[in-house]
Amino acid sequence: MNRVGRLVLGAVGLVLGGLAVVALREATLSTHQPVAADSQVEVVVEVESEHRERGQSEDELIEALVLTCRLEVNSDLVGEIELLPPGADADDDALYRAVLQPAMDQTNRRQFRGCLEDWTIDQLLVDVVRFEDIA
Amino acid sequence: MKTIAWLAGIGTMATGAIYMVVSLNRWEWNRALFFGLIALIAEVGLATGLILRRLDRIEHTRLDPEILALLRDTRPTPARRFRWLEDTTTQMNVFITFLVGGGLILSGLAWVADKVAANTSTPVGEEQLARQLGVISYPRGGLLVDEITALAQDVPGTDDAQIRKLLSDPRPPE
Repeated sequence: MNRVGRLVLGAVGLVLGGLAVVALREATLSTHQPVAADSQVEVVVEVESEHRERGQSEDELIEALVLTCRLEVNSDLVGEIELLPPGADADDDALYRAVLQPAMDQTNRRQFRGCLEDWTIDQLLVDVVRFEDIA
Repeated sequence: MKTIAWLAGIGTMATGAIYMVVSLNRWEWNRALFFGLIALIAEVGLATGLILRRLDRIEHTRLDPEILALLRDTRPTPARRFRWLEDTTTQMNVFITFLVGGGLILSGLAWVADKVAANTSTPVGEEQLARQLGVISYPRGGLLVDEITALAQDVPGTDDAQIRKLLSDPRPPE
């Protein structure tokens, strides 16, 4: 490959790298919108926990996770976190429901979901099943 | 086997990097850190492998015998700094000269050292001995009392038990 070809290839790589960094910046940039103070959002999560410490129940783990993650957004937990009745399949993981107020804008929604599904608490894996405004 | 190792390394690095970007996009920071660490470890491993492979190639590069012979032929003649030793292995002229000269120099140095030591140690030693003897020497004038002191014992009011003891005077003290 001659010198010009190398230069062109390097320039293309540089442009692609720059575009990737800009795209990632846009994806992780916080852009908040106003939200009604009395609005509420419902979050239903599927919880799987393995090898947890003796004496620590799954209810405590999911409560700790929600309370930790709500610190990253402007919403507070309303009421208790409910354990939903099991589905038809007995092997399904437990479902929990939490209500937070006020509701979240798009950025907070992504941030809260990311925190819940992240490896925030050991031995606890969470999948967000439903994330909807209810009021 | 090497190909499998290289592919595994590249695949690990690419997968780690992709999942890191995906986790960042999902705001999952702990996962992003973990996958970033995996990608970094794979990258360091690949870089080390590349460097080692390069070093191996350099070490095993075959030498051109013609170039090697040319270099050997044009090697400069080493300087013969001790050629006089080779010429005088059967004669002692230079060695004798060095031996006698060195002996003379050493003897001269020894003579100078002896003179300097003698002229510095003797006066200092005498002064030190005088100080040590001064402590145990007799008092000046001897141990006996002089006549004036002896006669003064007869003066009324004068009484020295030590002097009377030296004079063997049996009188009791006043």
